Amino acid sequence: MAQLAKGKLNYRCPSCFMRDYDIDMFYDKDTKIYRCIRCQFRGDEKKVLEWNEMVRKRYGDMYTRFTNFEF
Amino acid sequence: MSKMILNVIHRPEMTPEYSATVTGQGKEEGSMEKVLEKESLDIFKTQQRLAHENGLKCTIQMTYASLFNEEAVAIAKEDHEKYGDEIGLALYGFQCEAFKNKYKTKDFCIWMFSLEDKKAIVHDIFEKFFECFGFYPTSTSAYFMDADLINYVKEAYPQVVCAVATCWEEGPKAYHTCNNSWYTLFDGGPWAPWIPSKQNSHAPAANKEEDSGIVAIPHLSRDLLACYDGNGSNFGTHPQNVLRGMIYDTKTWEFPYFYNLVDQYRALEKYNDGYAYNMMYVGPGWMNKMGRWEQPYELLYKSYSEGCKYYGDLKKQGKLVDMTMSEFASFYREKKEVTKGNYNVPECALWRDILYGSDKQLFWYCDPYMRACFNMDQGGALVDLRPYAAKLEWPVGIGTKHVQDASYPFLIQEKYRAGYFTHYAGAGTVRSAKFSCEGEEVDLCLCPTHARFSEEKIDGKKTRILTLNPVDIEFAKTTVTVQTRIILEEGSSNIKFERNILKSTNPEAKVYVDEYITACYGTTEYPEDMMGIRLSVNNENESKEIVYEYHNRDEHLQNASVVKAVIPAIETGVSMTQSGGAEGYIEEGYAFSPMFKLGFKKQIVEGEVFATWLNLQKAN
Repeated sequence: MAQLAKGKLNYRCPSCFMRDYDIDMFYDKDTKIYRCIRCQFRGDEKKVLEWNEMVRKRYGDMYTRFTNFEF
Repeated sequence: MSKMILNVIHRPEMTPEYSATVTGQGKEEGSMEKVLEKESLDIFKTQQRLAHENGLKCTIQMTYASLFNEEAVAIAKEDHEKYGDEIGLALYGFQCEAFKNKYKTKDFCIWMFSLEDKKAIVHDIFEKFFECFGFYPTSTSAYFMDADLINYVKEAYPQVVCAVATCWEEGPKAYHTCNNSWYTLFDGGPWAPWIPSKQNSHAPAANKEEDSGIVAIPHLSRDLLACYDGNGSNFGTHPQNVLRGMIYDTKTWEFPYFYNLVDQYRALEKYNDGYAYNMMYVGPGWMNKMGRWEQPYELLYKSYSEGCKYYGDLKKQGKLVDMTMSEFASFYREKKEVTKGNYNVPECALWRDILYGSDKQLFWYCDPYMRACFNMDQGGALVDLRPYAAKLEWPVGIGTKHVQDASYPFLIQEKYRAGYFTHYAGAGTVRSAKFSCEGEEVDLCLCPTHARFSEEKIDGKKTRILTLNPVDIEFAKTTVTVQTRIILEEGSSNIKFERNILKSTNPEAKVYVDEYITACYGTTEYPEDMMGIRLSVNNENESKEIVYEYHNRDEHLQNASVVKAVIPAIETGVSMTQSGGAEGYIEEGYAFSPMFKLGFKKQIVEGEVFATWLNLQKAN
C-alpha cells in the first residue's frame, strides 16, 4: 500500500466531528477509502457523505428561518 | 427596529496559515508560497468585489507580507479612492521570508511574542505601512491583542482608534476541536465591541483613567449559545464558518442559519438602547480554490457572495449602516455615552437557540465589572462569571507566566467545572438556589423557563431586569410557585437575585430557600490550586474564617451580613449579601471537589420576596 494523501475535497472524519473534533482524513487511492488517523473511522465517499448527514441530525433547526427571537 | 452597524473587513494575506497546511499537504515546506501568493491575492480581490458590488464599504487590513507586494498595495490605494475603504494594518501575515529572516522564528501570533519583540514588530510594520501609503493607519487587528500590546500601539501610534482584539470564546474548546494544535486560548472576553482597559484587554474600561484609547471589536459576531458549547469557528458571521460547521443543505446549498444569526444580532438592539452590531472578517484561506470542508470552491464562493448580498440588501432597505473600523470607533464612543464620561453602559443579549431545535435561552451581560451568563434552561442560574472588577493584569507571550493562555479567569464556568450536574461526587460551579420542604430538595437548575428583559430607573440608576416566567416546584405534599428576577444596576459590580414565592398550595408547610454560589477559579478545564483562598462569614457581632486547605470545613452565622471569598491568585473578592433574616454559611471543598461555597438559608413564605446580591471586587 502506498502512502495516504489528502483527498480532493478535504473530507473530515464524521465520527470525530460528532465529538467536536475537526480532523482531516487521508485518502488511500488504491482502495478509494478515506481513513482517519486519529480514530478508527474508515469509509468510501458514500459512507463519508452518509455519516455527514448524521452529523447534521443535531442541527434540528438547520432548515428553519426564524423571524422571532423571543419566547 | 434600529439600523444595525456593520464592519466588513478583508485582509490580503499572502500565505494564510490554514491554507498552507491544506493546499500544501504533501509538498516540501516553503515550496508553495508563490502559488499561494497568487491565489490569495485573487481571493482577496474577489472578496473586495463582492462587498463593493453589494454597496458595502470595507476596511482593508494590510498584513505584514502584503506590504511587500506591490499589487496588494496598489489595490488598497485604488479601493480607498474609489469606494472609501479604510486602509488599516493587520498584525498578521508574518509567514513570509522577510519576517522569518528578520525575526528567525516561525511564530506568527503577535500576542505570543515577548514584549520586546511585540514592540519591534509593531514598529517595523507601522513604519513599513507608512513607507507604502504615506500615512499611519488608524485601525489594526489580530486574533487577540493583550493589554501590553494595545498600550504600546497606542503610545507609539496614538492615531489608532480601533482594533480587532479578540475571538469570542475561542479558548480550550477551539483548541480541542483542532486536535489540540490551534493555540488561540482567549476565552472570557466581550462578544460585542468594547473599550479595553489598560490593565486587561478583555475587561472593559470603567473610567477615563482605564481607557486604553481604542475601541475593540471581536473577530466575527458569534452565536452566543452554539459557540459557548462548541467550536467558535463553526458558528459565526463568517459565511464559511457555516460550511465548516456543516450547517447547510447538501442538496440545495442553502444555509438559513447564517441569516438567522445576522437577524438575531439585529434583534439585540432591543436590549442595547437601539444599537446592534455585526462584523465579518474573512481571510482568503477560508475561500481556498481547492475547496474546503467537503465542498468545492463554488460553494465557498456562493456563501460569501450571498452573505455580502444579505448585508447589502439590508442596507438598501435602510436596516443597516456600513462603516469602516475608524468610523465605527467614533460612533461607538458616542452611542455608549463614553463621550459624556459614562463608561458603564452594559452590553446585553437575550439569546435563543437558533440551531439545535431547542427552546434554550441565555442572557449575556457585560460591563466594566463582570461578564455574566444566565441560563434560563436552568431556572436563571448564573453559569459563567468573569470578575472584571479585579482588572487582573495578565501579561501574555514568551517571557511571561502565560505564553499562550490569554483567557480572563472565571469564577463560574459550567462547561469546564461541571455546573449543576457532577458525576457521582463533588460539586460544580454555579450560582443558583435550592428549595426544600419536609426532607425534599429541588434546585432551580432543574426548572427550565424563559425570561423577558426590561429597563427601569431605580433610585435614579439605570437598571436592567430579567424577569423569568414562574416555575412550579412540586414537593410530595406542597407545590410552590417561584418567580426569579435578576437585577443589574448600571455601574454597580453586583447582581441582585430576587425570589418571590407567588403561591403555595399549603401555606402552613415549612419551605426553605438556600441561595448559593459554588465557585473556584481557572481558565481551562483543569483545576487550579485552591490553597490560601480565604472564606469568611460575618454578622454584627461575630466573624468566622476558613483558610482553604481542602478539609471540607464549614462555618455558619445567623443573620450574617456577608459571606465572602478572597482568591489571591486572581486578586478577586466575591461575596454575597442578603435582604435579611437568613443564616449565612461558608464551605471549603476537598481535593475531589476543589470548590468553595457561599450561601444564605432561610425559611420563606408565600408572598415573600427574598433578595441576595452577588458582589465582585478587586482584592489584593
